[in-house]
Amino acid sequence: MNNTINFSKSTSFNLPKRGQSEFRFQIIGIGAILLSLAFLIWLIITVIFGSMGAFKHVEIAIQVDLTSKNVNADDVNSTSFGSIMKSGLREQFPDVKKRKDKKKLYKLISVESSLELKEKVLDNKDLLGQKVKIWVSASDDVSLYVRGKIDASLPEDQRKITDKEISWINNLGANGQIRTKVNWGFFKNGDSREPEIAGILAALVGSTLSLLVCFILSFPIGVSAAIFLEQFAPRNRLSDIIEVNINNLAAVPSIVFGLLGLSIFLGYFDLPRSSPLVGGMVLSLMTLPTIIIASRASLQAVPPSIKEAALALGATPVQAVFHHVFPVALPGMMTGTIVGMARALGDTAPLLMIGMVAFIVDIPKSILEPATALPVQVFLWADSPERAFNEKTSAAIIVLLIFLIVMNLSAVLLRRKLEQRF
Amino acid sequence: MEAPIIQAKNVDVFYGEKQALSQVNLDVFEKQVTSLIGPSGCGKSTFLRCINRMNDLIPICRFEGDLEIDGQNIYHPAVNVVALRAQVGMVFQKPNPFPKSIKENVAYGLKIHGLTNSKSSLDDRIEWSLKAAGLWGEVSDRLDEPGLSLSGGQQQRLCIARAIAVKPRVILMDEPCSALDPIATAVIEDLINEISKEFTIIIVTHSMAQAARVSKRTAFFHLGELIEVGRTKDIFTNPSNEKTQNYITGRIG
Repeated sequence: MNNTINFSKSTSFNLPKRGQSEFRFQIIGIGAILLSLAFLIWLIITVIFGSMGAFKHVEIAIQVDLTSKNVNADDVNSTSFGSIMKSGLREQFPDVKKRKDKKKLYKLISVESSLELKEKVLDNKDLLGQKVKIWVSASDDVSLYVRGKIDASLPEDQRKITDKEISWINNLGANGQIRTKVNWGFFKNGDSREPEIAGILAALVGSTLSLLVCFILSFPIGVSAAIFLEQFAPRNRLSDIIEVNINNLAAVPSIVFGLLGLSIFLGYFDLPRSSPLVGGMVLSLMTLPTIIIASRASLQAVPPSIKEAALALGATPVQAVFHHVFPVALPGMMTGTIVGMARALGDTAPLLMIGMVAFIVDIPKSILEPATALPVQVFLWADSPERAFNEKTSAAIIVLLIFLIVMNLSAVLLRRKLEQRF
Repeated sequence: MEAPIIQAKNVDVFYGEKQALSQVNLDVFEKQVTSLIGPSGCGKSTFLRCINRMNDLIPICRFEGDLEIDGQNIYHPAVNVVALRAQVGMVFQKPNPFPKSIKENVAYGLKIHGLTNSKSSLDDRIEWSLKAAGLWGEVSDRLDEPGLSLSGGQQQRLCIARAIAVKPRVILMDEPCSALDPIATAVIEDLINEISKEFTIIIVTHSMAQAARVSKRTAFFHLGELIEVGRTKDIFTNPSNEKTQNYITGRIG
C-alpha cells in the first residue's frame, strides 16, 4: 500500500469546494467595502461640488452720490441709503424708464446692499461729500448668472433672469463693475433671508455652545454614574432595573428627549427658549445613556487583578478605582463620549422641540441667547425656495462634517496622549 | 516556643451555602515561612485570603470563628480593613503590576499610606524595596519604564517589592511561581528565603518540592479541613495522617 501523501494534489480533502467558499466570502467582503466606499466618495464629491458656489461672492460696483445733497453728515443714520443706491443705478442706465423695469434694475443688487453702504460710510466718514464707486453684494440670481449657474440659452420664461437683466449685467461686466471674491461673509455672518449674505457662523457658534454644555454635563455625570454602577453599587434587583432602563434609554428616539426638555427645562424651570443652554441639556439627556453604557463596558474590560493589587496594598475602594481602574478605562470612555457627542451634533429632532429651529440672524454671544445649530441650518436652507440656498446647504453640510472631523480628531489625539502615560 | 503571630481558631468560611473551610485551627509563627499545601479546591487559598480579608470582596462569602493577628481579632467590627492590609501584604498568582512605571508601582503603597515625608526618603525606600526584592540591579537605570515591560519573573519580583515597600508584618503569597518558568521560580524562592528574615510569610503552593525548599512549617489542607500542620521536615518525611501520606506520595490530589 502506498501511503505517501501528495500535497500538491488539490482534489483531496474536499479542497476545491472549500477553496471556492473561501473565495466567495472574500469577494463578497471586498465588494461590500468597495460599494460603501464608492457611495461615500460619491456623497463627498457631490457635496463639495454643490457647495463651491457658496464660497464665491459676486459684487457690483455702483457710482453713488454721497454729497450733502443726499447725506447729512451730522445724522448719517437717518439717510435713505437705499434711494442713493437706486439713483446710482438709474444714472448708470438712464434709458430704463418704465416703473416695472426700474424695479427689476434695483433687484440687480442685494436688498441688504443699502446696509452695506451705510456700514461703509460709518466706517469711513471720508467718503461723505464725494461721488464714489462702491462695491456692494449682487442679488442671488445675478450671482448665479455671473457664476454660470443659469443657462442663458434657455427660453426666457424658463429662467429666473430676463433678457433685459442679462443685458444690464453684461453691460456692467463690460465696464469692470462686476467682480467675484471669496465669500468670507459665509463664515462671518448669521442666517439671512437673502442667500447672498446668509452665513453659517450663528449656527456654528450655536452648535459649539450646545455641544460644550452637553459635554460639560454629560461626561462627568455619565462617567460617575458608570463608575458607581460598575464598581460600587450592590448587585440587586434595583441595580438590575436601573441597568435595563439605561439600556432602553439609549434606544429612545431623540425627539422624546426634546419633549422632556420642553416640559421640564422650558415649562418647569423656565430656562430661556431656543438657547444653547437648553439645547445642550437636552442633547446631554440623549448622550448620557450612550456614555454610561460605553464607560461601563470599558470599566469591565479592565483586568480585576489591578484593582485587587491596589486593595491588597491597603488602598480604599475609591482609591483603587480612581488611581488604577479609571485611568485604564478612560480612553474607552472617551470613545463612547465621542460617539454620543457625534450623534448629538447631527441631531435636529430634540432641538425642534425646544425652539432652536427658529430663524435666528444674530450670532449668540452666550449660552442664554437664542441660537440655532448646524444640522438645523442645513434643514432650514434645504427648505428655502431660493435656488442660491442649494449651494449654501451643501456648504453647511461641509462645515458640519469638518466640525465632526475636528471633534473626532481632537479626541483621538487626546486619547493617544493619555494612553502614553501607561 | 515563641507565641504565634497569627492564630486561627475554629475558622469556618462559607460561599453561599457551600462550606469552604471548616474548623480550621492554625498557628503561624513570626519571621518564618509557612506553606499551605493541598489539592485544588481544598480551601488553602480561601484561608490565605481570610488573613487580609480579601474575601470581603466576594459578597456571598461568610466568615465565622476567630482569626487573630498579634492577639487582635481581625474580623472584629472595629477593625479597619485598610489598616489591616497595610500590615498584611499580598502577592498574587499572576504577576499584576500596575500599568504604570516601575517606580510608581513600588511608591504607590508608600504614597497612599503617607509613609514617607520627602522625595529623597521615598526614593530611598524604593531603592531598599527593589534591592530586597533582588530587582535593583536589573531596573535601577530604567525606573521610569512601565512595569509591564519587564519579564514575568521580574514582574513578580516587582510585585514582591511593592508589597514589602510598606513594611508589612505578614506577606501572603498565593502560588507566586505558578506562572513562571523554573529559573524565575528559583530566583523567587531564594528571594523568599532572604526576606523571611524580616517578614512573616505564608505561601500557598501546588509544588510540594517548593514547599519543602522554602518553608519551615507546612500545613496540609484537604476538602476544607486542616488535616495536619507541623515542621516541613516532619510533614514530608513522617506524616502522622494517612491523607497527608497519600497526598505527598502522589496518591491523591
